[in-house]
Amino acid sequence: MPDESRRFITTTIEVEGREETKVVELPGRALAPWEADAALAIVGHPVARVDALEKVTGAAVYTADRVAPGMLHAVLVRSTIPRGRATVDLEPARGVPGFIDAITFNDLPSGSKPVRAGGVRFLDPDVTYAGQPVACVCAETSGQARAAARAVRLSYAPLPGAVTAAQAIAGGAPPVRARGGNVSRSSPVEASRGDVERGLAEAEVVVRGRYTTSSALHTAMEPHGALAEWHGDQLTIHEGTQGIFAVRDEVAAAMGIPRSRVRVVMEHMGGGFGAKNHAGAHTYAAAFLARRTGRPVRCVLDRAGEQVDTGHRAPCTIDVTLGARRDGTLTAIVAAALVDQGISGWEASTTKIFHELYACPNVRTTEVFALSNTHAMAAFRGPGHTEGAFALERAMDELARELGMDPLAFRLRNHADHDQEKSRPYSGGPLRRCLEEGARRFGWEGRHARSEAPGRAETMPGIGERAGTFPAGGPPRWRRGFGLAAQVWPAGGGPPAYATVRLHPDGSVDVLTGTQDLGTGARTIMAQVAAEALGARLADVRVILGDTERTPYTGNSWGSMTTPSVAPAVRMAAEEARQHLLEAASEVLGVERDRLATGGGMITRRDGGDPVPIADITCRLGDVTITGHGSRGPNQPGVAFTTFGAQFAEVEVDTATGHVRVVRITAVHDVGRVLNPLLARSQLEGGIIQGLGLALFEERIIDERLGRPLTTGIHDYKVPTMADIPDIDASCLAAVDTTANPVGARGLAEPPIIPTAPAIANAVADALGVPVNDLPLAPWRILGAIR
Amino acid sequence: MGIAPGAVLDSPARAAYLTTMKLTVNGREREVTPDPVESLADTLRARLHLGGTKVACGRGECGSCTVLLDGRAVYACLTITRACEGAAVTTIEGLAPPGELHPVQRAFIEQDAVQCGYCTPGQVMAAVALLAAEPAPDEPAIRRAMSGNLCRCGTYPRIAAAIRSVAGRGGGTGA
Repeated sequence: MPDESRRFITTTIEVEGREETKVVELPGRALAPWEADAALAIVGHPVARVDALEKVTGAAVYTADRVAPGMLHAVLVRSTIPRGRATVDLEPARGVPGFIDAITFNDLPSGSKPVRAGGVRFLDPDVTYAGQPVACVCAETSGQARAAARAVRLSYAPLPGAVTAAQAIAGGAPPVRARGGNVSRSSPVEASRGDVERGLAEAEVVVRGRYTTSSALHTAMEPHGALAEWHGDQLTIHEGTQGIFAVRDEVAAAMGIPRSRVRVVMEHMGGGFGAKNHAGAHTYAAAFLARRTGRPVRCVLDRAGEQVDTGHRAPCTIDVTLGARRDGTLTAIVAAALVDQGISGWEASTTKIFHELYACPNVRTTEVFALSNTHAMAAFRGPGHTEGAFALERAMDELARELGMDPLAFRLRNHADHDQEKSRPYSGGPLRRCLEEGARRFGWEGRHARSEAPGRAETMPGIGERAGTFPAGGPPRWRRGFGLAAQVWPAGGGPPAYATVRLHPDGSVDVLTGTQDLGTGARTIMAQVAAEALGARLADVRVILGDTERTPYTGNSWGSMTTPSVAPAVRMAAEEARQHLLEAASEVLGVERDRLATGGGMITRRDGGDPVPIADITCRLGDVTITGHGSRGPNQPGVAFTTFGAQFAEVEVDTATGHVRVVRITAVHDVGRVLNPLLARSQLEGGIIQGLGLALFEERIIDERLGRPLTTGIHDYKVPTMADIPDIDASCLAAVDTTANPVGARGLAEPPIIPTAPAIANAVADALGVPVNDLPLAPWRILGAIR
Repeated sequence: MGIAPGAVLDSPARAAYLTTMKLTVNGREREVTPDPVESLADTLRARLHLGGTKVACGRGECGSCTVLLDGRAVYACLTITRACEGAAVTTIEGLAPPGELHPVQRAFIEQDAVQCGYCTPGQVMAAVALLAAEPAPDEPAIRRAMSGNLCRCGTYPRIAAAIRSVAGRGGGTGA
């Protein structure tokens, strides 16, 4: 319970593995959690997405659909070389019909702090990656703007650079940037507990391996975009962003105007996955050009721009050494990671999961964040943990194999029942329950009964009839394998997050909160929580999100933070509105307040009277608007708010072509209370499918000689299609987390991507009997592994 | 005097040699004057203000812009408007009368075959075209027909479920 005399308190919040200590405001009052057995009428039920109607009818408006009267179209002009000085000649563009204006670095306000976008100075002619914007043109139509951008003449004075981490840290490597060297300031990042030398000495079995992960591109279907409009000294930006307040603050700083003069609006967005957390070059270009031209300016990236300049999952090389006793007890975990950040980016730890996932007294990790002449990394769903889990879980399987142990039994043997790093309990879990439940659903015990039928005739979508094996007596052409992998991820959320609930005279309800719905279903979740807490009907509740001017503050939608941060604030706001409503009802009905309750849109009475619709009370109040405010309280200290999950994969590998077919995946996750099982299943399946892409297809390719990305479209950069999808059995444990927050839910967005790639890779290794340690498991890699 | 490729602006130069053409969009005959190589997606979005047809790649890689051209699913970003003279185009806005839903749209809502929603209009149009051609497609047929429509949120299992729920119930008609 909060101390009534205090208004501010220091609390700890984990965002994507980074622990932040913040001073936060205490809510006016504390809410008792909804217990596991609470009778909830709307929360926890599979209600349809509240914005599905807009989306299936094409009525939902995204940034690229927004049009303002007199609007101009802007297109960024990008460097084609990775490092050097670009000279920009705008003259040829000025002659293109419809041309209106263009800016380069020299047109930006001088004297102020340089504007930064994507980790580099906005429109900096001293370029540090291919695809870096050096100018922006605008014209009357999008076609004219594209033509004008093509007409801009660029000439270069190239400098040597490095486009991979290996090149960047090699002896005598040229500097990738003017100042600061080729590794991050904090590198190497070291962390240890216990004594790994002793742990390795105690080990009876030791395995060593090198694991590599690819650079994955977010590839949201809606490209980044912004529409900027000035009204006098007031700037409005429509942007498909994961953080409206972050964009507001960054744009205000860039324009040199107060935050109160910038309004950022986000109604719908076509996916983010971590790439849309900040204002980008397109945002600043639109804002500056709109100020110069006095007209609204829209800048939406084309697909190539999206693929080459909006961030990537940092590719990693991770060396792992594991030691265990013969009985399967881990004695040492050692990992050294080399991470290719590109030219900038925050340092998502790929090694933190080595300290957490399994019980081990002796752990040592080292991590070097190298910089290279490629675009900056951006958080991508489960950043760091996903890459680390691949290396750790592959190594765990190799060790189980050496020990002659079942991979599941080996993991259960080394189960961690608390947060070993901080010697604190987990609020939920533990992992054991996910492993055991997943194994049961998957049929792990009896799996080998299925592995005896390789090479049987079977129809595959799009491929046609498959038949036969290699010539009689030879090895079977198709091999079947089974694998599993596990996951932890901090997703407890935290303050600050605010919400307001308004009850109108006709009984309809507005929920206002400044969060974002990336496609996750946040809008639906908040409607459910508000309706439940207020006792209203779901159909009467409308959720208004994504407007810095009109909705109260919440943070970015990242780190699986939105549900555990915002839902408690919404619940508190609705509870407060309900208290006010009951007071009003007591007055109107002449019934004592404590004999009244709400539910299903009605005021229910314990005095024998008939229930009364909420609207009958509110309309009697005339224009009185019942309002409730809520905020997210601090996290309980000394507890780790972690999600857990385990996934099991069955694969078939064609040893003639190297093609891997994932047959089925079983996933069991623990995320606390599931607020909507329909949406939770969609999120789990979506994460697994992105994880499948990471496992099998996805890889940004850079031409190492020219330093240019080659994967500039979705034919070159392969994401999963419907034809690639296995049978997925995804579920969550019924495990309400009353410690985490008053709604009992932790985050769900990122956990499901983390174990998918290692589970698939472990299954492929099981099928082939050889290790597969490099992602993606493309056919050429599979053929190389079995040769 | 040259014309910028893809330009969508009325100017005297254009009027000099471009003629208007007729296109039936969502049951209404429309007159448009597209540029010679203007895409149907640009015509629908920029000239006819039908923003439901989304463009995610602009180069025929993703299917977000799928519309029906005389009942067949096409990528509007790769379809040249001038080649559609006299054709009937159906977009997501015209799939059902205002205030009503096509059975495929209803199934998408019920099965939660929607996450961010950006690819959804294209997915719905592709599903409608599939069911019109093949009222009861089996699983491989669904996968084959829909594998040209990408969804980065990974809604595929729900989309397949939505199509299965309509298949065999006459869901393909009415487009």
